[in-house]
Amino acid sequence: MANQLTVEEEQALRRTILRASEQGWGIAMGLLLGVGLFLATIILVLKGGPNPGPHLGLVRIYFPGYSVTWIGSIIGFIYAFVVGYAIGRTIATIYNRLIQRR
Amino acid sequence: MTVIRNSVLSSAKPSSPHQSRLRMVAPSDDSVNRVLERAFAPLHKRALGVAVGATVAMVVFAVTVFHIIARPIDIPIDLVSQYFYGYDTTWRGALIGVWWGFISGFVAGWFLAFLRNFMVATWIFVVRTKASLAQTQDFLDHI
Repeated sequence: MANQLTVEEEQALRRTILRASEQGWGIAMGLLLGVGLFLATIILVLKGGPNPGPHLGLVRIYFPGYSVTWIGSIIGFIYAFVVGYAIGRTIATIYNRLIQRR
Repeated sequence: MTVIRNSVLSSAKPSSPHQSRLRMVAPSDDSVNRVLERAFAPLHKRALGVAVGATVAMVVFAVTVFHIIARPIDIPIDLVSQYFYGYDTTWRGALIGVWWGFISGFVAGWFLAFLRNFMVATWIFVVRTKASLAQTQDFLDHI
């Protein structure tokens, strides 16, 4: 009874082991960016003032509808999650392609 | 690939002759080790560096093109040239930004993989050492 894998099977197994989860990377990066922007917005809203977060508010140029408000924090979270998901998924996809070629 | 992955992760009875053949090739004793190997598999540093570098380069290019086309005056994106030498909001600057974005992303991705592998290796070492010490902690009881 052969207990050992062939060379091809070992290589295929190794490639499978090294693969990164594309969805996992997407969700992780999405949450990282989303929660990051959400917290940054919330902190400035809680600090208050006549014009909270004039610099962070410039994010609206990239994310239309975003503002340094409670609603804006939710909108920013959604935008940042989508962008982060795309970035994470892209990284994992390229990584897996490179691993497959080894 | 999927079949092999299933053979690695499965511990249930084979439901088809094809799976049965695979189980003979990869017996269940080895599958535990392979699951652990999969869980603690190191990241490939160069591959992650290239992946992160390419992604950062794409992001820098996209943002620069947005600034070339939309011309938002509120964001002084030219300040990026303080870090990316030669960068500006022109098509040539976008290509320079792609180059710098790839370099900085590669370094970040490589270092991220290095740190992750280092931390996993350290953690495994600590767990193994603790387990080894736990096996010998009743040494004096046997004297």
